[in-house]
Amino acid sequence: MSLVSLVAEKIADDLRTLANTPRELAVEARYTVRAYRRGELSALQIGRTAGATAFAMLVVALLLFPIYWIAMSAISGTGGSVYAAGGFSFFPENPSIQPFVWVLGDLIVPALTISLNVPFSDLALVFNTPEIAFLDASDHGVDNPSDFKQYFVNSVIVSVPTLILAMCVIVPAAYALSRRKFIMRRKVLFGYVLFTQVGGGLGIASLIALYAMFVQVGLNNNRLALAAYYAATAVPFNTWLLKTYMDGIPVSYEEAALVDGAPPWRVVTEVILPLSAAGLATVTIFTFLTGWMEFVVAQTMLSADKFTLPVGLFALIDEYSIPWARFSAFALTFASPVMLVYLFAQRYIEGGLSFSGMEG
Amino acid sequence: MSTTSRIADRAAAIPAIEREDVSLLLVLPGLFLFAAFMFFPMLYLLGISFTNARPSNLFAGGGFLTFGEATFVGLQNYAAVLSDGKFWNSLGTTWLFVATSLVLKIGLGLGVALVVTNRRVRGARYLRSLLIVPMGLPAIFTITIWRGIFSSAQFGLANQLLSWLGAGTVAWLNERWAAFFAYNVTEMWLAYPFMVIITVSALQDVPKELHEAAMVDGAGYFSRFLHVTLPSVKRPVLFASILTAAASFQQFLIPYAFNEGGPARLNELIIVYGYREAFQFSQYGQGAAIMLVAVAFIGAFMWLNVKKGRLADGVDEA
Repeated sequence: MSLVSLVAEKIADDLRTLANTPRELAVEARYTVRAYRRGELSALQIGRTAGATAFAMLVVALLLFPIYWIAMSAISGTGGSVYAAGGFSFFPENPSIQPFVWVLGDLIVPALTISLNVPFSDLALVFNTPEIAFLDASDHGVDNPSDFKQYFVNSVIVSVPTLILAMCVIVPAAYALSRRKFIMRRKVLFGYVLFTQVGGGLGIASLIALYAMFVQVGLNNNRLALAAYYAATAVPFNTWLLKTYMDGIPVSYEEAALVDGAPPWRVVTEVILPLSAAGLATVTIFTFLTGWMEFVVAQTMLSADKFTLPVGLFALIDEYSIPWARFSAFALTFASPVMLVYLFAQRYIEGGLSFSGMEG
Repeated sequence: MSTTSRIADRAAAIPAIEREDVSLLLVLPGLFLFAAFMFFPMLYLLGISFTNARPSNLFAGGGFLTFGEATFVGLQNYAAVLSDGKFWNSLGTTWLFVATSLVLKIGLGLGVALVVTNRRVRGARYLRSLLIVPMGLPAIFTITIWRGIFSSAQFGLANQLLSWLGAGTVAWLNERWAAFFAYNVTEMWLAYPFMVIITVSALQDVPKELHEAAMVDGAGYFSRFLHVTLPSVKRPVLFASILTAAASFQQFLIPYAFNEGGPARLNELIIVYGYREAFQFSQYGQGAAIMLVAVAFIGAFMWLNVKKGRLADGVDEA
């Protein structure tokens, strides 16, 4: 559980920093005012700083405007279809959460009757659980909720096996690439790094053959076969990422454990794996998201009842009767958890993304 | 017995599986999984490209990795593809897309990075973490949102902006160059966080002394940008450009989700063209040939960059 506490610690850290920001701003403002009174700072300089900051904020606001637009559309509650006219307003007049209720539908744990037979007797213990309704869609005037829950289940069925299979092959490979010298090591590494850049296109290019192979063995429209494919596509990037983490663990720790008499496998389980917990967490998130976010292959392989969330989202945009507010709510419900998780994991790959060791 | 010799004994006592070359076995499962779903289909694709495969004859008779009742036609598919105007139009559009989107991506990335690293900007750290938010969004989410923005109806955000400016509305996705423009804007938005991250980290590595020296010499903002900043960030930005150009060349989702590379198949980027030939017009053989030509282009492009750009150097260090 050290991983969970680690993550909780980091989140608490972020929240603390965020809570402290207004205080820091006030301190800086007071400092600036004092410097101005003493004549150490001219009004022109203050104005320049304020202008530059305002301009930078404007640039960021403009770039992020599409996200704001979609959030406002989702709560606008107006009923126009995707293709109907309707003006944009910065703050909708009658905000409503009804579109989100439409996305989620009923969240009800039905009443269950559980009976336990006491062995070697005729006695039985019978429990009746009450119905628990977290959210009843009809209360909010929604009759026909979306298929979000079904797509969600499909996505889980695809993503969890992807995660398990991928981690099984990624962890040993990352360890070997980081700690051992063997033939082909550099070739494998270089191939993996190169593939992370051209992988998406190659995947679609070979899709014809992949589809034919899946059909020939009757595995098209099979979510587990799709999971195996996703695991394969997740291997190069994540192996490379985990390897760079393990590179950061000092070799002397291993040597110390070796001197203390630990067998090699214990060096791995007691030294390497615990110390690369953060890297393992990041790789776990990324392999999980591989299947969670992929669209093209899933759309080619799966039929409507097995659609994953991205395919379900895309199917929605072609339904002319779906109001734009509902579409936006669907899209946001799908994307926002991914975004939050990704932003959290981001700090761990920023080093990798600046390609510190990759540019010539 | 000294410590060193005890360690040596211990190393000698390590079982065979721990010996150096045998460590390859730890990499092989991943490599095999990867090959099974990447290289195998590639080889099979090569086979399909030499046949007249269609869903009707390829899947006849069953069997795995066979060609069913499809017949071997030699290089006919390649000849047909290379003499087809649609293919050349698609390839030309793809290269044009690579060029225009690359210019836009570098321009926006560099511009935004310069704004948020300006020393006068307060709270730059928060602005930067806000800026890279689009990176965490699923591609299909971003692209469907942008399709809504470029919706031909009055309601689309782009058309609302136009009518607010007093211009008429545009049927964005029904017109060739309007749609092409929409692709470019969307690609720019998809890729700018990546460009900003790389450029910002490069800008932060520019030594302060260089700027100060130039200021003492009386250089203004613009000439400092030209003679100090630009030369220092050239290499990382070039590196990022190569990668993002490769991504543009393989762009599939934007044209496919916007209007399937329409109108009238005019904007089909090369991968979309191959995909539609295969899955919507049932020409598996020709689709395979198109895909392989595209792969050859990507391969040549990456090989050139690896050779010229010395991409491989970093891997050796890593």
